[in-house]
Amino acid sequence: MNSKFNKELQELVRNQVISSEIADRISQYYDTKNVSKPNQLFTIFGVFGALLVGSGIILMLAHNWDDFSKITKTILAFIPLLIGQCFVGFSILKNKSKTWKESSGTFLFFAVGTSISLVSQIYNISGDLGAFLQVWIALCLPLVYVLRSHAVALLVVLFSTYYALEVGVWEYRSDKTPWMYLVFVLAIVPHYWLQLKNNTSSNATSIFNWAIPISIATSLVTFISKDEELGFVMYITLFGLFYTIGRLTVFNKIRILKNGYLILGSLGTIILLMIFTFRWPWKELFNTWDYNSQEFYITIALGGIAIGGIGYAIVKQGVRAISLFQLTFLIFWILFFGLSQIESLPMILTNLLIFVLGIVMIRNGVNTFNFSILNYGLLIISILIICRFFDTNMSFVMRGILFVMVGIGFFLTNYRMLKKQQKKESNQQKIIS
Amino acid sequence: MKITYLFIIFIIIAIAQIFVPIQMTMDNEDVIDSGVAYKFKTRPIDPTDPFRGKYITLRYEINHFNTSDTTYVVGEEIYVYIRNDNKGFAEVHNVSKEPLDVKEDYVKTRVTYYYKGKVSFQLPFNTFYMEETKAYDAEMAYNRANRDSLPNNIYALVYIKEDSAVLKDVYIDDVPIQEFVDTYKN
Repeated sequence: MNSKFNKELQELVRNQVISSEIADRISQYYDTKNVSKPNQLFTIFGVFGALLVGSGIILMLAHNWDDFSKITKTILAFIPLLIGQCFVGFSILKNKSKTWKESSGTFLFFAVGTSISLVSQIYNISGDLGAFLQVWIALCLPLVYVLRSHAVALLVVLFSTYYALEVGVWEYRSDKTPWMYLVFVLAIVPHYWLQLKNNTSSNATSIFNWAIPISIATSLVTFISKDEELGFVMYITLFGLFYTIGRLTVFNKIRILKNGYLILGSLGTIILLMIFTFRWPWKELFNTWDYNSQEFYITIALGGIAIGGIGYAIVKQGVRAISLFQLTFLIFWILFFGLSQIESLPMILTNLLIFVLGIVMIRNGVNTFNFSILNYGLLIISILIICRFFDTNMSFVMRGILFVMVGIGFFLTNYRMLKKQQKKESNQQKIIS
Repeated sequence: MKITYLFIIFIIIAIAQIFVPIQMTMDNEDVIDSGVAYKFKTRPIDPTDPFRGKYITLRYEINHFNTSDTTYVVGEEIYVYIRNDNKGFAEVHNVSKEPLDVKEDYVKTRVTYYYKGKVSFQLPFNTFYMEETKAYDAEMAYNRANRDSLPNNIYALVYIKEDSAVLKDVYIDDVPIQEFVDTYKN
C-alpha cells in the first residue's frame, strides 16, 4: 500500500476520527486487495517483453541476409512461428497464468507476421502491404478468444486501423475500400463486451474504451471514396453514435475520463458543427451528392444503429435520459439533406444548435455541480462567439466588449457555482453535526 | 474438458498459421519450376518497407501500351500480354480488360493513367528485397552501370505462369545484382 495512504490513516487515528483498530482493518483490507497487483505488473512486463522480442525478430529478419540460402531463409521463417505456437499451446494446455497467455499470444502475433514477411522477401512478393496485413490479422484474430488475451485484441485493433489506412488512404492510386476492417472490429466486439460487462472499471477496459472509438473514427475516412461532401455527414453521425454508446448504463459506473465514446462523441460533434457555423461550407461544399453512393449507405447504417441505441435508452431509462447531443446528428441530417440549398438558413440554425448545446452543457454542469462540464459548456459558447468574429464586420471595440463579456461570464458562472457548492457543503455539515 | 476444446481449436489455428506461408512458398516455387522466364528491362530505386525490410523498387521500361480502345479508366484491372522481342527481352503486344482466349502469357495489373489512347500501368513485380546494406549501393551500382551506356545492361528475370509472376533476380551486365554490388563495393 502506498505511504501517502498510510500517513492519512495515521493522521485520522491521531485526530481520533477512527480508532487504531479500524485503521488496522482498513490497512489489512487494502493489503489483501492489492495481492493481485504484482501479477498485473508481471503481465504488463511480460507483454512488453514479448512485444520487444517479437518486433526485434522482425527487424533482424528484415535485414534480408543475402548469405543464407533459400532453404535456410525458409526454415528461419518458420522457427519463431513454431516457438510461439509451442508457448501458446503450453499456456492453454497447462492453463497457465494470465501473464503466460498474454505474453505468448503477443509473441505469436509477431511470429506470424515474421513468417509471412520472410516468405514475401524470399519470393520478392510485391508491395501490397494491405493484403499482407489482412492475412496477418486474420490468422491471429482467433487467438483473442482462445487465450482471452487483451494484448492480442489491442494489437488486432491497432493493426486493423493500419490496414484500413493502408488500403483506403496510403496505397498509391487506391480506389479500394477496406471492408475487412469491419469484420476485424466486429470480431473483437464480443471479447470487448464481456470485458466491459464483467470488469467495467478495469484499466484494460478503459484502454479499449478509448482504442476502439479512436480506431473507428480514424478508419472511417477510408470508407469515403467519391462523395466527400457526405463524409462530413458520416462523421457527425458516427460521433452521435459514439455519444449514445457512451451514455449506455454500463458506462455510468466509470469516470468520464475513462469513457472515450462520450468524450470523442461530444468533442467530434462540436468541432464538426463549428465548421458548419460558417457560410463557406454551405456555399461551396454542398452542391451535389449521390444518394446511391457508398457514403450515403454508410451514413444510413451508422444512423440506424445510433437511432436503435437511442430507442433502447428510451425504453430502458425513459425519454428524459436522452441528451440533445445524441439527437444532434438527426438535426444535422435535416439541415444537410433538407435545407442545404438555402445558404443562410442552415448556417443560422447550426449556430443556434451549438448555442443551445452549450447552454445544455452549462445547465448540466450546474445541476451536477461539475466544474468540468460547466466550463466545457462555456467553452462551446465562447468558441462559437470567437468563430463569428471571423465572418462578421463588427468593429474592434464591439469585438473587445464581447470578449470582455464572455470572460466575465466565465468568471461569474464559476464563482456562483462555487458559492452554491460551499453553501450546500455547509448545510450538509450542519445536518451531520 | 474445456481446456481440451480450446487446445483443439488452437491446433486448427496453428495449422492455418503454418499453412499460409507454406502455401505461399509452394505456389511461388511452382511458378519458378514450370513458368516461362522473361527478361524485363528496368531501373532500380531504393525505398524501405517497415516490416519486410530493405528492397529496391524496379521501374520497368514496359509501362504503357497504345490502344484504340478509349474506355480505359484509372484503377481498372487489365491483362497485359507479354512476348519476347528479337533481342530476347519482354515486350507488350496486347492489353485487354478481359482475359483473351489465347495461349499467351499475361500479367494482371491496374491502369495508372490513361490519355489519348495511351494506357499506362505498373508491372506488379516491382519489389526486389536486398540485404539492408546493399539496397542503396544497388541504386548507386545501377547509376554507374547506366553511365556505361551499354544497351539492355539491366533487367529483371521474371517467371510467369497463369495469374502468378515471380521475380527471381535482377541482373546488371548479366551478373546478379547482389554479386554486382559486392564487386562494385570492393
